[in-house]
Order: sequence, then structure tokens, then C-alpha cells
Amino acid sequence: MSKRPLHALSALAGIAVPGRFGKPDGEPSVMIGELSGLGLATVASRQGQDAALKSAVLQAYGVQLPESSRVAQGSAVSFIGYGPGQWLAVSESLAHEALAGDLSQRLAGLASISDQSGGRTVLRVSGPRARDVLAKGLPVDLDPRAFPLGSAAASVIGHMGVQLWQVDDTRTYDIAVFRSLSQSFWRWLTASAAEFGYEVSGQN
Amino acid sequence: MRIRCPYCGERALEEFTYRGDATVTRPGSLEPQATGAWVDYVYLRDNPDGHHREHWHHSAGCHAWLVVTRDMRTHEILAVEFARKEP
Amino acid sequence: MASAQGKRLASGGLIDRTRTLPFTFDGETLSGHPGDTLASALLASGKTLVGRSFKYHRPRGILTAGCEEPNALVELRNGARREPNTRATTIELYDGLDAASQNRWPSLKLDLLAANQLFSPIFGAGFYYKTFMWPASFWEKVYEPAIRRAAGLGRAAEAPDPDHYEKANAFCDVLVTGAGASGLAAALAAARSGSRVILCEEDFRLGGRLLAERDEIDGRPAMDWVKAAEAELEALPDCRIMRRISVVGVYDGGTYAALERVNDHVPVPPAHEPRQRLWRIVAKRAVLCAGAIERPVVFGDNDRPGIMLAGAVRTYLNRFGVAPGNRAVIFADNDDAFRTAVDLVGAGVEVAALIDARKGSSASAQAAAEKANARYLAGAVIKRVRGGQAVKGVEIRDQSGKIERLDCDLIAMSGGWSPTVHLTTHLNGKPKWDEGLAALVPGSLPPGMSVAGAALGQFGLASCLASGQAAGAEAARACGFTPSIQALPAASDENTAASAVWQVAGGKGKAFVDFQNDVTVSDVKLAAREGFRIPEHLKRYTTLGMATDQGKTANANGAAVLAGVTGRYVGAVGTTTFRPPFTPVAIAAFAGHHRGQDFRPARLAPSHGWAEEQGAYFVETGPWLRALYYPWEGEEPQATVNREVATVRTNVGVCDVSTLGKIDVQGKDAGVFLDRVYANTFSSLPVGRARYGLMLREDGFVLDDGTTARLKDDHYFMTTTTANAVRVMQHLEFCQQCLWPELGVQMVSVTEQWAQFAVAGPRARDVLQGVVDPAHDLSNAAFPYLAAGDVTVCGGTPARLFRLSFSGELAYEVAVPARFGETMMRAILEAGAPYGIAPYGTEALGVLRIEKGHPAGGELNGQTTAHDLGLGKLVSTKKDFIGRFMAARPALTDPARPSLVGLRPVDREDRLRAGAHLIPRGEDATAKNDQGYVTSIAFSPSLGHWLGLGLLSRGPERHGEIVRAYDPLRGDDVLVEVCPPCFIDSAGERLRV
Repeated sequence: MSKRPLHALSALAGIAVPGRFGKPDGEPSVMIGELSGLGLATVASRQGQDAALKSAVLQAYGVQLPESSRVAQGSAVSFIGYGPGQWLAVSESLAHEALAGDLSQRLAGLASISDQSGGRTVLRVSGPRARDVLAKGLPVDLDPRAFPLGSAAASVIGHMGVQLWQVDDTRTYDIAVFRSLSQSFWRWLTASAAEFGYEVSGQN
Repeated sequence: MRIRCPYCGERALEEFTYRGDATVTRPGSLEPQATGAWVDYVYLRDNPDGHHREHWHHSAGCHAWLVVTRDMRTHEILAVEFARKEP
Repeated sequence: MASAQGKRLASGGLIDRTRTLPFTFDGETLSGHPGDTLASALLASGKTLVGRSFKYHRPRGILTAGCEEPNALVELRNGARREPNTRATTIELYDGLDAASQNRWPSLKLDLLAANQLFSPIFGAGFYYKTFMWPASFWEKVYEPAIRRAAGLGRAAEAPDPDHYEKANAFCDVLVTGAGASGLAAALAAARSGSRVILCEEDFRLGGRLLAERDEIDGRPAMDWVKAAEAELEALPDCRIMRRISVVGVYDGGTYAALERVNDHVPVPPAHEPRQRLWRIVAKRAVLCAGAIERPVVFGDNDRPGIMLAGAVRTYLNRFGVAPGNRAVIFADNDDAFRTAVDLVGAGVEVAALIDARKGSSASAQAAAEKANARYLAGAVIKRVRGGQAVKGVEIRDQSGKIERLDCDLIAMSGGWSPTVHLTTHLNGKPKWDEGLAALVPGSLPPGMSVAGAALGQFGLASCLASGQAAGAEAARACGFTPSIQALPAASDENTAASAVWQVAGGKGKAFVDFQNDVTVSDVKLAAREGFRIPEHLKRYTTLGMATDQGKTANANGAAVLAGVTGRYVGAVGTTTFRPPFTPVAIAAFAGHHRGQDFRPARLAPSHGWAEEQGAYFVETGPWLRALYYPWEGEEPQATVNREVATVRTNVGVCDVSTLGKIDVQGKDAGVFLDRVYANTFSSLPVGRARYGLMLREDGFVLDDGTTARLKDDHYFMTTTTANAVRVMQHLEFCQQCLWPELGVQMVSVTEQWAQFAVAGPRARDVLQGVVDPAHDLSNAAFPYLAAGDVTVCGGTPARLFRLSFSGELAYEVAVPARFGETMMRAILEAGAPYGIAPYGTEALGVLRIEKGHPAGGELNGQTTAHDLGLGKLVSTKKDFIGRFMAARPALTDPARPSLVGLRPVDREDRLRAGAHLIPRGEDATAKNDQGYVTSIAFSPSLGHWLGLGLLSRGPERHGEIVRAYDPLRGDDVLVEVCPPCFIDSAGERLRV
């Protein structure tokens, strides 16, 4: 009988290997790292509960739910608007299923919660050329005038759906892609970053 | 073509999926005399020489169904609104 | 040893004479300098014969100095990087460049196919249409190979392109296309206001015509102003100057396509860099400063090497420091061209005569002739050109009709200039005729675009600067910026008046209208006689305006000649529609990253890495790569599938079914919503149970099927087929948002969240007991067929368990968060080892379901109804749902419709073929007797023979009947017995143990 606990595997295990790649000379101008252990869950407002949900989220997580495609960063949980009445909740402290569990409890009756922590690979892309790399696929203007800090976007890169949000104002972007597309996305990302030289960090 | 999604902002065509005529209404009746209305709803479409209201899905974006008013001659987009009217 | 650059001037030109770049042309080593194009380097080395023409294989030289070049097409590079039909006039010279002339055999100087021109009377317009008509059997074997050998341009590479191509997006307020005088002025005006500006220049240098002329701005050489403008723009943080990039298309919503030749100017792209990059630029406003294209004059033998556009002559003299000849004549109908005389003598080239085709004389041209110490012949024309592979002289007919011969090796010709209006027409804009310029100028424009400079017909330098600055400022203003008023740089407007002569009547020799396609005046006349009187028809019939240059130097003259022969006013003839791309774009650039394994993204199932280790054979199913089967060492595919099926039927198997679409449907009205989207009922489904669901389209045909479980009172978990997952989600969102917004229901795809495995076979429960934590009772009583619920596995991992069966055996589906998917697969195999478990792939999955008669892809083909699939009794009559009304139409419930049946060969040794037609026994195989077809087939290891599913008219009434399964495609014709679709355990007892 097998009762050994299952262990989790990144969809990029053995593929996102730490190191310096692409153009070898000069400082790497793009940094790529996988964020593992995140709690991810979708939160959809129940009918007629928009106001109650907002105040419950504010009370529970200290965050004002954004009404458009923006990210509201909280100390424990961040909420990214990805559609009318729909948010992607992201948390480092409430890892994996714990986030969906916590949300289900605190927002019971106000929102429909679905755990997505197994279904996405989240990559952090940063560095002076991060925007140039993303421009090779993302049809969204990331210039600060069009995409100021706190902006988020659901869009498509190379026929692959992505959710992207800006983490800080130092050209750092988090990108969530479907787990099953992780390898295809990785090939696109690294091919696009190669001309600038990129560094893959170990898992955060 | 670019469509200004009321939720996401102006986005490229590749994020959207076209469905078609947004002016037709699903008949409420299942009585035999409703056949004409059902045939109209399912099959018959106008192709106006000018402005038209169409359903588009922001399939790679916010997943909202939109009603896009478009000039069929020039592709000019005159208005974009959520298809969903709050009940 | 590089030969000397004999035609290089002693000084001048924007080339770096301190460095020499060796290159080869047709195997001969030549040399040039950085800053040269291949064309200028060839001319510097005295090479004026560079190619052969398309149809007649006539010797051809270099006509232009830009992207409009019709003649000087070469094969660039070699091996896998060979690129045919590149324009020598736009190829930036690099060290080691290797080019070859095209369309000649055996050599450029001796081309035997040049004999074609002797037969030119039969090679006229419409020749191919008229000649190679019959016998039809000659088409593939005789005509086509012969035509292909003789015609066509360069040869494509015969190996995959080793270089990388990519795409990129850019956004700006103002896009300026072209960095000549007007483009630079526009970019300066827009960028100084603080707007985001992208300036695209197809050349590797900014300046446009200023690079080629001896103009002055602010009293200094114009290039000083260009350099200052370039430096200022470079320094502005929101201005991006892009070089070596051609804006090739205009699309809706201010979207522009542009091809950047990132590394075409080096022998091999540096590691990690692409060769080319296809940009999509989204601009709020665009200013088109694309300049103008000079027109040839149509006269006899106007295609001889040594005949060049006057503007190009000035480019080679002034920009590249090359003398394209030793003794020139200028033949033109405008003053602008005659100033070439001054540049020529300044470079030490003798000018024999200025031949002015206009009636009356021009003071300006006369002055140029005096400066050049050349004769000025007003009202004269070139009647004939002497020389074949190079111009040797001309015969001139003067005003009085007198014929005179002059020796020369260069003819600079000009029929005036046509604004480069192409990009204004890509969104159905219509250019308009300007009588004063004798040219088409921009008419209606794409939204957000303005035009300035020569592209607008403002040919004078001062006008270019003024209109560019005004357009740039206006574009910035339209984007919400406030441009300050700037002083205009001082320049003068030369005389640009035109009096188009178009063609020389009564000359000798072929008078070419379209050089690239070998279309002559005679062809246009013939086409007009045969009724092809509008430019679009003329183009199709004669090929005028086709091929790589799309008639950039030919269209205006074509319209003029057509006007002449049809007795119409030139401006009334119109033009063909210019479509993207403005200049050719390699398919590789359109593909970008998406080639090879990235042709499209591949979705990998959670157990993919494990399956690869097993040596699984994968198959694309929709966007997914799924394991088709797991062969053992040395096992034939059919044996593998048989073994996998048998393992499920006798022991137990495991299959990754994570690819099924999974949707969380939640909310107080979730059950009502499902009742409206499924043909059967779900609101009555108890919590902890699952049910098969059938979804119709509104037209009554089947959309999809799957099982949906009720996890909580207000939480359903729906599955869809792999292929339809996205479509179903979109459909549900439409129903929710557009049809029934009053329902309180929320949906989200959780396909990616769950790794789901089917464990099927008589020992499935034993295996599950090895992974599901002991707290959960899996007995048939506690967890019966179609039960569903949350469990934990392997010591606490959260999971969902469903008792579902696609195979017809005792079976479960167990789902864990996807990050545990691979180790879950291993845990199931470990737990199942004592019971003889084996993984099975989609091929075995297919066999299992065919043995059970479950409809899938072959049957859910968008043309079948619930009734056709034998699922009519599922369809509720107690509620409205999508498709209800239309599904009830008489034609859709007609028993004569082809309906699902099982099929087995009468001779059990026979193989069945999917797609075979079902025809009554003893009847002829005619369309009239066609009563259905075979939808799915499999070899059933359980039964030991082939079996199939099919759709047969009145099928359910015909069980036991023998029919023909006729497959003309593969030459099969076998007798099959019609039977119920379920071949195994039709009572379903195995499911419920």
C-alpha cells in the first residue's frame, strides 16, 4: 500500500534551471523566476452581493477590491480584477489550497471560490529589458503612461492566455499562465529574452 | 481591429471572438406557432449596410460578452458595452 | 583578390572609404565599402548587367536605388539561408556577401532562353491562357514543367531556415513612416511636444532623398540638418527611431504592420538575435512621409542595362560616390530630372545631351544643360537605343523629325514622380488624380492618418519640410499634446512642375511598361483590344503590376498607356487597389516564434513527464499532447493497444483524463442554470452524485456531452469533452450573461487545477483503496456507481473522487491538484502493481468506448441530434433548454435520419474503415443508395475482430440486417451486420459491482 505523501512538482521542473542564458556578455537585463507555493483562487461575486463582498474583503484582508483590471496588494492576499465581478486572489502566506479555504470561510455566501493554485504557473519577469521581452508577445501597452503601477491585464501571448500584473515600479511583472502551457510559454519567454541575456533564479 | 472593452480597455482583435447579430432575442414561447420566431432567431440574419450591433466575447481577456456597434462598411467601432444588463 | 572599384568617384558619398568589404556576385569577387548597397557596389565595380527578365530573359541592369526596383533581383546568401528575389538596391553590403543573378541559363551573359523574345508575338498578353489549353493530359506532364523551368524568378532555399524570426508589439501616439525631410520634420514637431513617437525608416540611414541630392537647408548641406534632427530625436526619451524597418500594412484601429530587418545586413545573425522582426505598431495617429517613386519613360528598348531613373543616377553619384556611366544622356519630361546633368558633370561624367520630351523648351532645363556644357534638345525623344547587354548609344528624333545618333553608356530617364500612396489605400482609401502633378495623390485616408511631403505631392524641399512639420504638430495635437510653434528650416522649392509625356510613339524595339513582368505597350494594346480596359482587368490579363515590386514603377505608365489606347483621359482610368504588404515579407516573419515544436502551443497533461519516461507515443488532440499508447520494448502499436484494452477488461488500467474540460458552476441558481443548458435535468441531482449530461446547440444539434457532479447544494462540477472545452465555456458564459442575467450563477474553468485519472477495470476498487485514505469507505454500498465527493489521498492530499466509467468497467476518476498529478500517477501504479495495472492511452480509451457504444468525436460531429445518437429519451420535455424547440422539428426527429448503430463484419476477418458508406446489401454504390456511414472503428481485443459504430438511416429498426460498408477511397467493400451499438455488457452490470 502506498501511503507516502504525494509531493508537488512544478510544471517547469528540470526546465527552469537556474543560471545565466542567452547573450553572454554584460549584465543580464532580464530576470526570470518561478514563484512557487502561491495560493491562487478565483473569487466571483455572488448575485447581489457586490457591496457586501467588498466590505467583507476589506475587513478580512484590508484590501479594496478593484473594479477594473488592476491589482490591489494586501499584506496577506492580493486581489487582481480579471473580469466584471471576478478576481484572482494571490497569496504567499496562505499557500496552495489554504487560500481557497480561507476565502471560502471568510466570504461564505458572498462569493464563489475556486481553488486555482495547482492550475497556474506564475513567473516573475523583471529587469531593464523586461518590457521589451514581453512586447514580443503581449499585445498590451506596458508603458507606465498606459499601464501604471497597479495595473493588471488578462491577455494572450503567442496564442497562450496569460494574466499579468505589475508588482512594483521597477519593471517587475508577475505572469500567470495555465500550468499545461508552462513549457510552451517557457520556450517563448526564453527565446524572447535571449537577445538581452537573462538570468533564471531558483524557485522563490 | 481594436475593441475598447469596457472592463479591460482597448485591446487587439486577437483577444476577441466574434459571435454575430446582437439584435435578435431568444423567443420565450415553446408553442408550435413560435416556429417562425425560432427560425428567425436561430438562422435569419440581417447584413445591414451601415451600423450593426454584434456580440463579441472578450475570450482572451475578461470573458465578458460585449455588444459592439460597428459600421459594416468601414469597420469603425462606434460603441462597446457589456451585453449583460444587471437584472 | 577583389577587383578595383573602377566606377567609384574619387571622393564624396556617404560611404566609409577606410574599410573595404569583399563580396561575390555570380562567383566573382568584388568589393565595396560600408554604406554601400549591393547595387551601388556592383555599379562601382562596373557591373551594369545584373539579371535577366522574367519572360523574355532580356538582359537587365539596375533601374532604381530603392525598394521599387523591378530588375535587379538576386539570390542572396546560399545554402539554407538562400533568399531569392531580393532587391540589390536595398541590400546593405556586408563583408562576405554572396549573391547570384537569377533567371539565366547557363550564364548571365549567355542566356539561351533569351530566344523567347524572338517568339514574343506568341508570348503576348494572355499567352498562357490561350495556348496551353489542350490536350488536358499535357497540363501536368508537359506544359507545367516546361513553363516552370522557363519562368519564375529565383530559387528558394532547399533546407529549413536556420535563423530565428520573431514578432513584437509597439505602441505610440504618433507613427511617422519615412525619415526623409518631411518625416524628420514631422517627427521633430510631434516628439518635441512630448508625445510618444515612433519614426520608421526602411533604409539603414535617415534622410530619404536628402541622402541623394545636393540640397541645402538653413544654408548648409541638408545632411547636416538630418544629422542634427537625428541627434535631437535620439535624445528625446519618448521618441524611438527604427531603421531598416518597412511599414508594410495598415489595418483597422490604427494598427500598422512593419518588418524590421534586424540582421539582414550581417552575414549571419549574432547568436540569440533574430534575423527579422515583424512589428505590430498601434498608433493613435500616423503621418505618412513615404516619398515618391520616379516613373520610367516608355520607349523602345527602355529596359537596356545602363538605362536608369534620373533620381537613381543622382543617388549613385551623390550618396554612394559611384558614376553609373561615362557618357550620359538625360531623357525626361520634367525639370527636376534635368538637374541630374549638373550632378553628373560635377562627378566628372560627360553629359552628351538633355533630351526634353516636352513640347516647347524649359528655361530651367536649358540652364542645367549650360552648366553641364551639354546640348539641350527640346521636344525631342529617344527613338531607339543601341546596344544589347549595355547601352551604346541612342537615336534621337528632334522636334523637326530629324534623326540623330549619339554615343552614350548611360541614359538617365524620368517620366515624373508618383507619390507613394500605397499605405493610404490599404483600408479601401481611394487615391485621386492630380492633373498638375500628372499623378495619383492620396484621396480618402485611413482614420488617424495624414500625409506629408512628396507622398502628398509636395515635391519641393521647402514644401516637404513645411507639410511634415504641420502634419507632425497636428498629429500630436490630436493626441492631446500642445506642440509649440517652431521656425521652419530654410530651404527652397525647386521647380517640380510636371508635364507628363508617358510614352514615345513610333519608336523601335520593345517598349516596356512593367519591367519585372515583361509587359510591353503591345501587351497593353492587345489587352485593351480584347476588352480588358480597366486596370484591375489589365493586371490579371497581362500581369502588369504583379510580382515582387507590385508595379511600383509600372502602374502609372500602365494606366497612361491604357488611357492612350482606349482614348480616355489618364485621370479617369484609375488604378488597381494596393494591398498589404507594401514590400515582400518572408513567411518566416509571419510565423515568428511559431515553427517546429512551437508551431502552436502544446498543452501537456499533468503526467506528461512521467509518460515521456515510459516511452509513450503522443498524439495531438486539440491543443493537448496526449499519450496515445505506452508501448513495451519491441511491441507493435496494435499489440500495445490490444494489451492495454485487455488489461482494463481483465485487471485494471489507469489513464490521464485531465484534458477534459472542467468547469465549476456555483451559485444559488446553479441547478436551474444547468437545467437550461443541458437537455436533461440537473437541479434534481442529489449532492454527492454525478450524471451524464447532453448539451445541444440552439439549432437542436448536439454540442457536447460529459458528466456533471453536484459537490454541494450550490456547487456543481461540470466536465466537457477535451475538444469542446473552450467552446462550451464560451457558450455557458453567453447563456449566463446574455440570455439569463437574472440567474445567480458563477462559472470558472478549473481544467488546469485538477489532475484527473481514470482507474478502470475489475480491480479498480482494490487499487483505489491503496491510494484513498482509509477514512473513506469505497464499498459499492457507500460509494456506488455515479457517486462523487471529496476525499483525501496518500495521507492527506485533498482530492475528488467520482465513480464514472467510460470503459464500461468498474471505474473511478480521482482528481488531485495538478502539482501532485505526476506523483499521483506513480502512486496509482504502485498501488495497482499487485493487481496487474497498466497505463492506457487514448487509443485504448477509444477502443473501450467503441466496444461500449458511447458516442464521441466521430459521432459528436455537429450534425447529429440526441435522437440520432440514441439519446432521445434523455431529452426533457418538462422544461425549456438550449435547443429544445429546434430539436423537436419534424426533420430532426424523423426516424429515417441516420442513427447510431453497431457494426460487425460478417466475415470476422474483415477490417472495417471509418468513413465507409453504408449501402443496402445487393444494391449499387450510388449516392441514391447511400444510407449512412461508418463513424468509428476499432479492433476489439475483447471480441477478437473489428467492429464499428455508424450512423444508418432507420438504424435502430435494422438490427440484424446485413449491409455493405463501401469505401471507394481505400477500395474496400465488406458486408457488415447491423447491431446494437453496445458490444460488451449491455446490461451495464460491470459498472455497478
